[in-house]
Amino acid sequence: MDKQVVSFNLNGEAVRVRCDPFSSLLSLLRDRLGLLGTKAGCGRGECGACTVLLDGLAVNACLVPAGKAEGLNVETIENLSRGGSLHPIQEAFVEKGAVQCGFCTPGMVMSAHALLKSDPAPGREEIRKAISGNLCRCSGYVQIEEAIAAAADKLKD
Amino acid sequence: MKYIIAKSLDGALAALQDTGTGRARVVAGATDLFLQEQPDRLIDISRLPELQEVTLEKGLLRVGAAVTHNAASASGLIWEKAAALAEASTLLGSPQIRNIGTLGGNVANAAPAADAAVALAALGAEAVLFDSPGRFYVKPFAGLYAGYNCSRVDSCREILAWFLIRPAGPGQGSAFLRFTARGALSLPLANAAARVTLEKGRLKEVSLVVAPAGPAPSRLKKTEALLLGSNLSGKTWSMAEESASAEVAVRGSALRCSVEYRRRLIGILAGRVLSLAAQRAQRNR
Amino acid sequence: MIRRNIKAGEGKEGFPGARGFYDPEVWAKVTGRARYGIDLALPGMLQGKILRSPHPHALIRNVDLSRARSLPGVRAVLSGTGLGAKPYGIVFDDENPLALDRVRYIGDEVAAVAAVDEQTALEALQMISVEYEPLSAVFDPEEALLKGAVTLHDDFPGNIAWENRINRGEAEAAFKDADLVVEDTYALPSFHPGYIEPISCIAESEKFDGLTLHTALQSPHIVREILAGVLGLSISRVRVISPVMGGGFGGRVYGNLKLYLLAAFLSRAAGAPVKMQLTREEEFTVGRPMVAAMIKMKMALKEDGTFLARQADIITDNGAYSAQAPWVSKTLSERNDSLYHIPSISTRVRLVYTNKVPTGQYRAYGNQLANFACESLIDRAAGKLGMDPLRLRLKNCIGPGDTSVHGLQIKSCALSRCLQDAADAIGWTERKKGRGYGISAAIHAGGSIVFNPDFRGASARARLELDGRVTIVTGEQDYGQGAHGAFALIAARALSRVPGEINIVSRDTILTPFSIGALGMRQTTIGGRAVQLAAEDLLARIRDCAAELAGEEVVPEGGAFRTSSGRLIEPVGIAAFYCAKTSGLALTGEGRYVPEKSDYDQSGYGNIAVTYSFAAHACEVEIDRETGALTVHRFVAVHDSGRIVNLLTARGQVYGGVAQGLGMACSEGYIFEEGRVANPTFSGYRIPTALDLPSIETLFIQTDDPEGPYGAKGLGEIVQVPTPAAVANAVANALGEPVNELPLTAEKISRLLHGWECAD
Ligand SMILES: Cc1cc2nc3c(=O)[nH]c(=O)nc-3n(C[C@H](O)[C@H](O)[C@H](O)COP(=O)(O)OP(=O)(O)OC[C@H]3O[C@@H](n4cnc5c(N)ncnc54)[C@H](O)[C@@H]3O)c2cc1C
Ligand code: FES
Ligand code: FES
Repeated sequence: MDKQVVSFNLNGEAVRVRCDPFSSLLSLLRDRLGLLGTKAGCGRGECGACTVLLDGLAVNACLVPAGKAEGLNVETIENLSRGGSLHPIQEAFVEKGAVQCGFCTPGMVMSAHALLKSDPAPGREEIRKAISGNLCRCSGYVQIEEAIAAAADKLKD
Repeated sequence: MKYIIAKSLDGALAALQDTGTGRARVVAGATDLFLQEQPDRLIDISRLPELQEVTLEKGLLRVGAAVTHNAASASGLIWEKAAALAEASTLLGSPQIRNIGTLGGNVANAAPAADAAVALAALGAEAVLFDSPGRFYVKPFAGLYAGYNCSRVDSCREILAWFLIRPAGPGQGSAFLRFTARGALSLPLANAAARVTLEKGRLKEVSLVVAPAGPAPSRLKKTEALLLGSNLSGKTWSMAEESASAEVAVRGSALRCSVEYRRRLIGILAGRVLSLAAQRAQRNR
Repeated sequence: MIRRNIKAGEGKEGFPGARGFYDPEVWAKVTGRARYGIDLALPGMLQGKILRSPHPHALIRNVDLSRARSLPGVRAVLSGTGLGAKPYGIVFDDENPLALDRVRYIGDEVAAVAAVDEQTALEALQMISVEYEPLSAVFDPEEALLKGAVTLHDDFPGNIAWENRINRGEAEAAFKDADLVVEDTYALPSFHPGYIEPISCIAESEKFDGLTLHTALQSPHIVREILAGVLGLSISRVRVISPVMGGGFGGRVYGNLKLYLLAAFLSRAAGAPVKMQLTREEEFTVGRPMVAAMIKMKMALKEDGTFLARQADIITDNGAYSAQAPWVSKTLSERNDSLYHIPSISTRVRLVYTNKVPTGQYRAYGNQLANFACESLIDRAAGKLGMDPLRLRLKNCIGPGDTSVHGLQIKSCALSRCLQDAADAIGWTERKKGRGYGISAAIHAGGSIVFNPDFRGASARARLELDGRVTIVTGEQDYGQGAHGAFALIAARALSRVPGEINIVSRDTILTPFSIGALGMRQTTIGGRAVQLAAEDLLARIRDCAAELAGEEVVPEGGAFRTSSGRLIEPVGIAAFYCAKTSGLALTGEGRYVPEKSDYDQSGYGNIAVTYSFAAHACEVEIDRETGALTVHRFVAVHDSGRIVNLLTARGQVYGGVAQGLGMACSEGYIFEEGRVANPTFSGYRIPTALDLPSIETLFIQTDDPEGPYGAKGLGEIVQVPTPAAVANAVANALGEPVNELPLTAEKISRLLHGWECAD
């Protein structure tokens, strides 16, 4: 397998990795870089468990060729609670009961993070749209939506 | 294996032509390509500025092939001049797919009911292509399909650069609708797009495209002809529904729906999408 | 206004301390630090992969492993004949870890490989050559029952895996005397639990014939026994350690036994740990969905709406192997009979082998499938009688103190109140034109005492730690449904502590008491009761020890103890005192909750569970009369699950269950083409997205159950039971026509509306 050096910014740090550029960003993050917070539920863009931000936009890491990350900013769930304190979105997820098995949670939080960056006061419909690429089998989404709305309020003040 | 992020269109074309290191292929968002067979080299054209532009020049709307669905759905210019395309891009896939998947990829992947492709077909878009020696061609949309999931765009040699669209002027409007089994993450059971021109409250020009019906987005020419000169009444739309349903040649699948249902659905969507396009045309004075 | 029955002083949020209390694991989950099965790795670990049958039914003539074995990086290659394993199963032994001479469905396991990485393992699979001799296959259970149909298992002639007949009262006479008889046939496809994390495991074969299996299970202790049996190991040498579980819903009670067994065999052969993981496609094609069902049902009523009798002929589609399907079929065929007063019952149920995906279980054990038939037929009867479907139900409801037709002893029950409140909340008396309204009710057993008649309860240990905290050791599992958080609240209540001072230890069969596991809504009821008893036992022992330490009488005071002379003795001091005194032991309390033995008889008559939970769901739908598209606008779920331990997580259970029920009603279900799963992806098997759900209102009617801990009853499974029928009844109401098939796709509704037929 041919390897290629890919350089990008991962959670605020510059990284250079020699890897198969056609393997997925998801496997690069999980298997090579040991960032296991990003989950894998389908490997086909159909569940959203692998959601990370690529230059601020939510994408399915399982469909992004590693080589595509070259020169870009990649943000994963690990970046949100640096230094041990929870991000307001994470706090809201806990407080609103939005976490059950928690497997969809990292992806869900990242989709919420992308939404709140671009729209600090989303309505219920915008929230639903923003997480419509993230499947959750446990929660029926209600408390996740409540959490994202509450996180928007927290981030305002 | 090499993944090359193209810095310029010329550079991308040169990389395609250099076959010394194995087969190369153009890639944009990779949302389709990633799960398909992969060549030796991928030339990523998604960061070429000129392919991400949306401009109105010389009376034509020029939309870059590397424009993502979310960029298209956020573009005021596309909503104003080619609403059907913006609508298709808004409804497709999921937020994650729309953030990275592109219009060019949607077309070059040649899936029978690709949403943006259906809208572009109804809008009468033309495609501007460059081949690896650097020549460029303008092709009508209908000429882009070779068969089921098989494009005439040779992505190993050609780059789809722009779509040229006649912008909606006074009395003109377009719309796109799709029917899915689920609110997101669902390919359409059927979709339809229309573009109309009105004159004195009647249909002067009609373009109606539906899918899936054959390998490419399918223009319903008989229905279009039938509707010319009609007023904008409910009767016209029922006539459109009936005619579209009769005209369209469809296939069924155990997974999605039967032939009968798809035929009905396409009729209903045709009636609705024409009516929506006409409403927009009326508002567009 | 809806009356909410929450007792004063109990707090709106549940048990004392529930407000602001979160299971500590939530922090790990929300930061991405929780470790699930897919995240695990061990040093020197190999990757395992399975070669599967491309044929729905075939004889295996020859399996050649030699080329695969010689591929560099391959560490073990196995076929069925080399294993020497005995057949195994859950109810009966109809499976082998790898097929011996015959494959029975597309996906049947034929050979397995362990290699240094996944790529090499996949390459090795390509190098195994198998000679098959295809046999004719049977996919339709009704065809499988016909004389002359091809037989799947020689031990099961006629393809009947299991069958049961139940007769109570005088059904035949009742039908003769009835004023009204209604009947219909209902069809439901297989449904998959659809947990987002695919099943995976790491098996580590150990020296001296031991095995450690890392995999998340709802019933690790029972799986341990099965594995030990097939692998020929002593039970105490098999240890199951569960990482965090990415969803279970019944699908991980036994998980994928075959995967665990093959990982163990491969690990033994290769002498290294072996990780195996199902792909999403494998989850759908070889995972264990719930049986599909065909339910022919008939009901007899009096003119005034009194239920007289119900008759059912049920066929459940087992697929190629049986797993828990007999139990699912049993619950499916009986449970709904105990929801109302129905004096006579006549039921026949047959579980039938077909050459399709083997089945297992999914939340609520098929109760929801039969509920669709029963509750739809009740609406049909109401229509015929010109009676309000709500009134017809209220007239026949079972109530507290009743014994049902199958002998279930109902202690606490707010069924009629659930129905009434659901109707009020949806606006039953002011139903809008152009919308459809439906209601449905359910009963579900919480804490089975007949799963194993000799082993009915649960136990737990409670230990006072040196830091003064209390650790609860339990074999019951949490997979996000909130069981461990509930245990902390229960223990805290018993000990007059705050829930944050309680540790929960579970997930390791070596450390925890034996448990049947997270099934049949036994966690909170039975498991929680054991925790309560353990905590109470510990409290008594702490008190004795405090008195010994103080040398005088003590009385408890907010988690500590006050001596008669007025000193306060804290748990930390007591723990230290006891540790020193015993040279290292900790004060430990034991709780065993052993429910009374059931009077359950040969005919299956008798009480089957500790408690029964009840629910009523109602909804408002709209149908696009052109396309047939269904929109559920509003949904109300009213539940009697006794005292609510934690309102936040209880609401979460209801929302999630309703969402799954709506998936069944509207969009989910297996689609087969000649035995092949046609929709083995999340885009083809359509579980709801955030854009597919209505607003959901939850209400709890809090009864005080004498058996559950502090009056609490089970909630986790019943949440899904009445949902599909409520939607179906609303659709039937909107259409003015009955519906008898799920899911209610736009195409099906369009066909009902416009009466067109399908040619292909
Ligand atoms: C979960 C999921 C849901 C989806 N839902 C939908 C949906 O609802 N509707 C829908 O229509 N599609 C859907 N898609 C398909 C896909 O996302 C879209 O078709 C998308 O627009 C493809 O764009 P891309 O940039 O990712 O293409 P790529 O994958 O990058 O490319 C696709 C093909 O086009 C070629 N190509 C790309 N750009 C060019 C170019 N400029 N010149 C020449 N050749 C080029 C590539 O070589 C390749 O053959 C879905 C996909 C997924 C994974
Ligand atoms: S794992 Fe990437 S979308 Fe499911
Ligand atoms: S919390 Fe389990 S899948 Fe979302």
